[in-house]
Amino acid sequence: MPTSPRKSSTKNNSNDTELVQAIQSGRIDLYQELVSRYERKLYNFGLRMCRNASDAEDLVQDTFLNVFKYLKGFRHEAKFKNWLYKIAASACIKKRRRLKYAPDQTLSLEDFLPGDEAEVAREIPRWTTIPLDQLLNEELAEVLSDTIHTLPEKYRIVAILRDVEGFSTAETAKILDITPANVKVRLHRARLFLRDKLKNYFEHDHNYPST
Amino acid sequence: MITTTHPHNARCLDLFKKLSEYIDQELDAATCRQIEQHVKNCPPCQACLETLKTTAGLCHRIEEAPVPTGLSDRLKKMINELTV
Ligand SMILES: [Zn+2]
Repeated sequence: MPTSPRKSSTKNNSNDTELVQAIQSGRIDLYQELVSRYERKLYNFGLRMCRNASDAEDLVQDTFLNVFKYLKGFRHEAKFKNWLYKIAASACIKKRRRLKYAPDQTLSLEDFLPGDEAEVAREIPRWTTIPLDQLLNEELAEVLSDTIHTLPEKYRIVAILRDVEGFSTAETAKILDITPANVKVRLHRARLFLRDKLKNYFEHDHNYPST
Repeated sequence: MITTTHPHNARCLDLFKKLSEYIDQELDAATCRQIEQHVKNCPPCQACLETLKTTAGLCHRIEEAPVPTGLSDRLKKMINELTV
């Protein structure tokens, strides 16, 4: 059986519900506590989605401003956290449209078909046999972060929500207003893209730590 | 079966599309078994699966940066103004 790379995302939800309901019923002095709970998560989401720290800071501020504005209408049909990310994600996407970037590049599955020499090698690459915590040193973390930034946005946002933040396929679909099938397709291509860059890194630029 | 022409093997291609769903445990038991059976005898597909799994696992372990104090201060100020 495969091991799922999911984080538990239900831990804080019951606490959130109480806190949000209190704010909704008039305890706006508690809003700071809600912000403190999520500022770090949102800032890091912003750092991965935006190109720089100041855009990430703006994203956090805009998101908490909108959350405050619309909190009264939040009906607890979704977890608060998911609703928060929906607001943050739509702020990212809108911002990008305003800047009139070139349309998102499409990653096709054919680009990633295994077939080059290294892939056809009869051995399991060594980097997949090292425990993840040991493998992920500072240098690799930077390579991975940089690579996530080079993903076209529609793939990047799915990779971040699914693999970095740990939302499920269904949750990600709701946050982004796309189908679960679409989430799966984008995630697979995003992972293949990242995987190719990591493969390159391990084959060419990397010295394994002596064990 | 010997997969000497790996990229052109229809079986490999078919399973290749499903590897992320396999990693995420989103496939039915029968498809999982097919993949496990195939991968056992097809080292390139096994390498593909393992590298993909490691990639997803690494993403999940990226550490979070702390919030800059400037941002925390900005947020506090904004909230003070909002909640007066
Ligand atoms: Zn195969």
